[in-house]
Amino acid sequence: MANKKMTLALFSGSVDKLTAAGVILGGAAAEDMDVEIFVLLQAAFAFKKENAQVNDRVAEITDKKDEFLASLKRLNAPHWTEAFRTAKEMTNVKIHICGFAGKVWHGEKIDDFIDLADDIVGIGEYITAAEESDVNLFI
Amino acid sequence: MNVEELKSIKIDKSVDARGTSCPGPLLAAKKAIGQIEKGQVMEVLSADEGTKRDIPKWCNKKGFEYLGTIEESGFYRILLRK
Repeated sequence: MANKKMTLALFSGSVDKLTAAGVILGGAAAEDMDVEIFVLLQAAFAFKKENAQVNDRVAEITDKKDEFLASLKRLNAPHWTEAFRTAKEMTNVKIHICGFAGKVWHGEKIDDFIDLADDIVGIGEYITAAEESDVNLFI
Repeated sequence: MNVEELKSIKIDKSVDARGTSCPGPLLAAKKAIGQIEKGQVMEVLSADEGTKRDIPKWCNKKGFEYLGTIEESGFYRILLRK
């Protein structure tokens, strides 16, 4: 039986939403889903080499940022980059950087981004992949 | 299967995922299942409340037999047969 497919339009560059994306990816990996992630605008910022380990941005409940970050440590939750890496090791995950998003943050080449990223693509690839997927998410 | 019956089952592999939060125990189970043979029994130790519902669903999708869950103090023993 062919693996189920998930597409993820990853817009957010904030650590809270990226952490949630990492948890969902873990669930997809446990079930051997094929996952394609399209890194859109603000997420492309987070995927830049110099930004990926910086945890100073949350998108929601911003007044509780310190508590949120402390809880991640208390719960031994992996950093989102590690959650993504684990998912890539366990199932077929491809991470595509949106070319436009990359340029917004002065990232022209794949080497400008962390090594989790596989390539730079146009939006047509996302639309095609989303059409063919069983689960499509926007985070 | 009642708790006494569950406790009497021979465990071929035990996976201690109590130090991880969701989806850590599920991923630990997935990693470990490749290390046992068909017919062998694995237990997953998890302190995560959601895992005791995730593992049965995962078993169902993957064709493994969920045997049951033993509630211990502060964690669960979730048993399945490959």
